[in-house]
This record gives sequence, structure tokens and C-alpha cells, in this order.
Amino acid sequence: MSSLGSASVPQPAAVLPDAVVAIREPVAGPPKSKGGITATVVLSIAAVIWISPLVLLLITSVRPLADFIASGPLTWPSEFTWSNFTDAWSIGKFATTYRNSAILLLLKVPIGVLLSAMLAYALSKLRIRFRRAIMFTVFLGLTIPIYITIVPVFIMLRSMGITDNLLGLVGPYLAFGIPFEVLVLQSFFRQLPDELIEAARIDGASDWRIFFRLILPLSLPALVTVAILDAVATWNEFLFALIVLNSDASKTIPVGLLNFQGQFANNNTGLAAGILIAVVPILLAYVVLQRWIVGGLTAGATKG
Amino acid sequence: MASTATAGAVTTPRTRPGRQKRRHGGLTPWLFAIPALAVYIWFLVYPAFNSLYFSLTDWDGLSPGYNIVGLDNYKAMVNDDVVLKAAINNLIWTVVTIVVPVVLGLALAITLNGKVRGKPILRMLFYTPGVLPLVAVASIWGWLYNPDYGAVNEFLRLIGLDSLAQPWLGQNSTALAAVMVPAIWLRTGFPMLLYLAALQGISQDQYEAATMDGATKSQQFWHITMPNLKPAHYIVLALSLIDSFKVFDLIYATTYGGPGSATQVMGTWMYFNVFQYYQAGYGTAIAVVITVVAIAVSIPYVRSQTKEHDS
Repeated sequence: MSSLGSASVPQPAAVLPDAVVAIREPVAGPPKSKGGITATVVLSIAAVIWISPLVLLLITSVRPLADFIASGPLTWPSEFTWSNFTDAWSIGKFATTYRNSAILLLLKVPIGVLLSAMLAYALSKLRIRFRRAIMFTVFLGLTIPIYITIVPVFIMLRSMGITDNLLGLVGPYLAFGIPFEVLVLQSFFRQLPDELIEAARIDGASDWRIFFRLILPLSLPALVTVAILDAVATWNEFLFALIVLNSDASKTIPVGLLNFQGQFANNNTGLAAGILIAVVPILLAYVVLQRWIVGGLTAGATKG
Repeated sequence: MASTATAGAVTTPRTRPGRQKRRHGGLTPWLFAIPALAVYIWFLVYPAFNSLYFSLTDWDGLSPGYNIVGLDNYKAMVNDDVVLKAAINNLIWTVVTIVVPVVLGLALAITLNGKVRGKPILRMLFYTPGVLPLVAVASIWGWLYNPDYGAVNEFLRLIGLDSLAQPWLGQNSTALAAVMVPAIWLRTGFPMLLYLAALQGISQDQYEAATMDGATKSQQFWHITMPNLKPAHYIVLALSLIDSFKVFDLIYATTYGGPGSATQVMGTWMYFNVFQYYQAGYGTAIAVVITVVAIAVSIPYVRSQTKEHDS
């Protein structure tokens, strides 16, 4: 059985933690039938408390403002309404910010994953010179706070004429995504047997052909994981978007939400609806793609 | 497919047959590497060094010209009370938002790793705040903390603690703590996931043997669980540390560094200097200082990630 957590062994992007959990659980506890009730109850209560801000938000978003003001935030609504969502949607210009965030994501994520995969392949399977130095330099990027680059990046984008433009965000987003993506992908590629590559090479395949026809298809789980995590980070990024995007027409969800928050300071139910509109896609994606996200997050971690 | 790769990883010897045969592969590896490296250098490495240069100038961020002022900006930081305040806040932030989430995450992971029903759902719920945009987290907590109709004060009134109801984000005494609560909320899930993955790798045999030898639960925890979690501790602490230096979004979007400078951190103070007070030179100097510290403390981690498979 593959041991996901044995941390001293270099792991591939451990993309299938649930599978491992599923394999382990029946083995782990014969006395599973009894017991565990206390722990389950305690954890469930803790989980409900943990998640309560989101539950309150949901309840508030579907009640009329008057009802909220009259009865307070911790009561069950006396009536329900959708109008908070329609108001928030139009006033918060969410149609625009949604579109912008989606465009950025579709533009940035595939390019980022491809470039990172290429570099990761060179670092893990091709005998590139200065490999250690390159890895060190790239992984150092994980530690660098975004704000050290904002002034020069802003000047650069201004001279290129792409401030207040989604395109201006692609370069910085790519650069700050590369370290993590390369870290995960190269550790995954390294686990692919060299014999496979050698065999393909003997058959006359070029490095490019091997990369696109062999490595990438074999690494699909890792690529998907990295793409999802990158998409989440891109969707949520705030600081670059804040300084680069000025006009309402070009704003992404986080910047749009901040504006909206200012405008709706006194409309609690509308604010709740707006926040939900901003986070629902990411929450849905998380629930659906949970397995991949968890796998990717623990990938860099179960080694060391 | 992935599990095959995993199995291979465990058994494949370090030195592979093909390894020594090929020397450096010439040009092709660079064709693979250069696109990503070019973007990385263009938008991250070069701007970082460029900031280092700007930090030696008196540039306001708008005018075409500026003077080189040497280390004046760095000297000025020593006399800037807000920088001192921000540095202290960064330190408090780092300690609290690492220690609390790590301890909570470990406790959750250990409990979840025991006999618990609905494990996947519980795990999912605890990590949920971690996927939200920080601006949304800030909006949610700003809304919960609202002095008049926020849920936090309302709850205190409900349980008879009216006297404790207060403007949590709006007063010096509580603002920083109040901003750290959402940080803890969203950062606890990550250590939980890592510890859970690590715990699942500990062989049950060790516990069974210990139980037979009469070891108590607490002895087992300190002598089996904790030593086995050592690599996980290292990664959790390293990644949390790296993350904590980057704090900006949450503070910007909840308190804007206020009230006064009560919640100012280096990241926000840098931003305000550049974009509000038009002191780009000074602002970048602040950014340089925190970046140097962040890099310095993270180098062991980066090196461990680089070396690992070379040994």
C-alpha cells in the first residue's frame, strides 16, 4: 500500500488522498462499530460553530432588510426574499466582475500550468545545467511577498500601456504562480520511471514529443490539481488587481467586492447577498473538486 | 495511475541506470525552461531588484525625476513610529496566526484521525474558510463585528454579557486581535489537512505494540505520534511563516490599518506610503526590509525543497 504520509519519502503530487484514506480506514479499526460517538458529536458541534459565519450570511441574504433590522441577525427570518440578490447583482456590477475574473482565469491558468510543466520537466527529467541554482531561485519565489514588486510592475505596465487592463495582470500572476506549480509538478514528474522516457527516446521520439505525448498525459492528475489551485489563487488575488485596475469595467471579483462593501455598509441584507454572490462559485468549485484541492495542498507537504 | 507512480517512488533506487550515461543535455532543456524562467524573471525577480534600487531614491511615484538618497529611507524608518508599530504587529501576527492555527489544526487532525463518522464532510467544513477570497473573509467579519447589528455583539447581548459588546474593529485595544480571529478562522484548515495526511502515514503497528507494552494514550502521543509528525511540523511551520509575512489583504479590507495605526503592518504601511502619501522610495524601502526578513527565515525551507532528491 502506498503510504501517503510517510513524510521522509519524496512523494509525487499526492493527488489521491481520499483513495488512500478509503483504503486505510477499514484496516485501521476493527472496533469501529462502537465508540467515536463522543468525538463525532464534539467535532460536529465545532464544525457548525466554525461554519456559522457562512450560515448566518446565507440566512441574512434571503430576508428583507426591515425584518433583519427589527429582529436582529441571530433570528430566523419571518419572511424570505430574493430581492437582495437581484439588488446586489446589479449594484455590485457582478456581471462585469464575474466576466473579468473568468477571462483572467481562462487566460492565465492554462498558460501558467503549461509553462510550469515545461520548466518542471527540464528540471526533473532533462539534464539541464545549473539545475540546483534554477530550482533554488524559482522556489525562493514562494517566499517573496507580492508588495515588493508592485511599484516596478506598475511602472512597467504603465509603460506598456496595459494598466487598467486585465492583460496587465497576466504577467505578474504567471510569475507568482510559477514557483508553487513547478515545485509540485517537478516532484510528480520525478516519480515517472526514466525507463519509459528512455524507451520512447530509443523509438526516436523527440523531447517535445515525449513531453506532450507521454509526460503530460501521464501527469494528468497532478496537472489538474495544480490548475485548480492556481485557479483558486487567481480568482482570489487582490493586491495586484487593486493597484492595476481602476475603472469599474475592468475590476475583478475581489476588487469589485471591496467597492461594493463600501457602498452597502448600511444595507446588511444586500451586503450579505453580495458577499455570497462573490464566494458561491469558489465554494461550489471547492465542494466539487475538494479531493484535488486537498491532494494538491498536501502534495508539497508530505515531503520534507 | 497515480498510485502506481507512488509505489514506484517508494521502491525505485535513487541512482537510476540512465543517470550517469547522459551528461548535460545541451540546448533542448533550456527551450523547455526559458519561457517560464523569462516570465519569472521579468515580473518577479527584476521588479524585486528594481524595488531595491527605488528604495535608495526619494522618488514620489509620480514625477519623472528623483534623486539617489542612499540609505536615507532606511534611516528614516528607524524614526518612524508607524514602522515600529507595524513591525511589532507583524511579529504578533506571525506568532498568533501560526501558533493558534497549528495547535487547533493538530487537535482537529488527531481527533479526525480517530474513530469519527462523517470524516470527509467534517474535514471539508473546517477547511472551507481557506478557499475564500481574503476580501470576502474581511467583508464577512466586518459584518459580524458591526457594533450595532453585528452578530458578535448581538450574541453577547443574547447571553447577558451586554457590557462586553463593543466596536471590536474600531478601537485600539481590540482591533488587532479582532483582525487575527478571521486569520485564524481561515488558516486552521491547512495544518489540519497536512497533519491528517501525515497521521495516516503512521503505521498502526507502533500503537498496537505500545498498547501491549502498557503505554498510556498520552505516552503514545508524545513518543509515537509527535516524533512521526516531525517532518509535517517542519513543513507546516515553514509554510505558515512564509504566509504570515505576506499579510495585506485581510487588514487592508477590514480596518485599513486603523484605527490610527493600531492594525498597521509592514505590507499595508508600504502600500499607504506609495499610493496615498506619494513616497514610493520610502514605501519600497519598507517592502525591502520585510522581504529580506521573509527570505532569510525561509531559506532553510527552500534549500530543503531543492536538495531533497539530489542526495
